[in-house]
Amino acid sequence: MISKKVILTGSFGVGKTSLFNQFIYSKFSDRYLTTIGVKVNKKTLEIGGKELSMLLWDIAGEVAQDKVPTSYFLGASGVIYVCDLTRPSTYKNLDKDIEYLKGIINGGIIKIVANKSDLVSAEDIERIKSEIPLPIDTITSAKTGDNVNDLFHALGAELID
Amino acid sequence: MTNPIMTEQNNKTQSDEELLMEKLRSILLKEERQKVQRLETIVETKKNLSEKVDPIIEEHIQRLKTEFPDHYKQVVDRIVEQKIKDSSEEILNTIYPVFGQMIKKYIALQFQLLRESIDQQIKNTFSTKGVIGNIKARLFGIKTSDVIISNINKPIISEVFVIERDSGLLKGSASAVSTIDQDVVAGMLTAIKAFVEDAFDGGQQNLGMIEYDTHRIFLQNFPNYYIAVAMSGSISTTEKSNLTDRLLAFADKEINNTLFASSEESFKHISEQLEIYFIGKEIQLLT
Ligand SMILES: Nc1nc2c(ncn2[C@@H]2O[C@H](COP(=O)(O)OP(=O)(O)O)[C@@H](O)[C@H]2O)c(=O)[nH]1
Ligand SMILES: [Mg+2]
Repeated sequence: MISKKVILTGSFGVGKTSLFNQFIYSKFSDRYLTTIGVKVNKKTLEIGGKELSMLLWDIAGEVAQDKVPTSYFLGASGVIYVCDLTRPSTYKNLDKDIEYLKGIINGGIIKIVANKSDLVSAEDIERIKSEIPLPIDTITSAKTGDNVNDLFHALGAELID
Repeated sequence: MTNPIMTEQNNKTQSDEELLMEKLRSILLKEERQKVQRLETIVETKKNLSEKVDPIIEEHIQRLKTEFPDHYKQVVDRIVEQKIKDSSEEILNTIYPVFGQMIKKYIALQFQLLRESIDQQIKNTFSTKGVIGNIKARLFGIKTSDVIISNINKPIISEVFVIERDSGLLKGSASAVSTIDQDVVAGMLTAIKAFVEDAFDGGQQNLGMIEYDTHRIFLQNFPNYYIAVAMSGSISTTEKSNLTDRLLAFADKEINNTLFASSEESFKHISEQLEIYFIGKEIQLLT
């Protein structure tokens, strides 16, 4: 069994906790999130015959990434950076944030996710994509569950490589 | 009662006998005697020999002593330097328990000395037992209550986790009870620890204990991992010290550098040993 630490991050309200809950049935109350700013949960994935135990850290959203305690990111093999398709403020600092994250987690895999696809039209999505300074890896809806499993499995596959 | 004649006769007989015996001995033991003679000469020769040889050996040793650094120092230095560079983490993990043990013992000793000197001072200053008792109780109130509490509520270890410091990934665990997912517990503990350390000490200090109700989680930190010990009951200073000793010994003996290779074998080994060292044990009785 391989274990990897993965962090969900991004601005407040983009849907990190919703993605987390959509992916994992959560045994713990969200109380932890507000008290210490993080909640850890586990999902075991089977990828190409190998078992991967993904320890997901859901971080309470902050406006800027550098407000999140650095120690939460240490030792992470993967980061899922979530932004909200309906709020430009959640992706306007994307390149700066990613640059910052790369500096802390050296060598880890970073996935950029645009969430709440159920709230915008296909044309809007195309337009937003051209506005965002970096390519988006996955477009999800935590509400409908669209692409959520794919997101985690794709990351899992890269992690056990 | 002594008869002089008899005595003389006796003496004569005895000395004749002795002579006879001596002859017999020299015949029977001739070979043995020769052997002894030979050995003596060998020892003598050896002694002579060594007198001659020693200065030569000594000279060689001296020359090696003075010339070895010139010839080999650079090579050795380079090897050592490279070795340390390649395995600084391993070295740190190896020496940390030893250092921890040393520092702990030193501090404990200093406290002991301090306490004794205070004791002495109190004895010198006050004469009435009541006064001394009162002050002692105030000064060492914690200790006294610790003793009382520990007798009522002996701490028993229920769970132990070895956790990688940064990632919070579990590297081995043992548990007397079946609890919620241990991987998740390890992650949450790490998050709580990081939170407290970041918030109150700027990351310079390590969180050592989490307490809630009648439960405690004792945290022993190492360079890139830590051990969390969950227990019920209250723990005295002495017991804490016992536990630390045991944890350092465990780390020294059972955790090696394979820890971070995340092999299943290492996970299994650490878990099995944790069980043997700690689970269900009364901390008081740990040695
Ligand atoms: N329509 C829609 N709402 C979403 C989606 N994801 C999250 N939300 C809503 O957005 C709000 C914030 O979500 P939350 O998961 O708490 O965001 P977090 O702060 O990033 O953890 C909540 O009201 C969610 O119900 C989505 O994909 N579609
Ligand atoms: Mg949230």
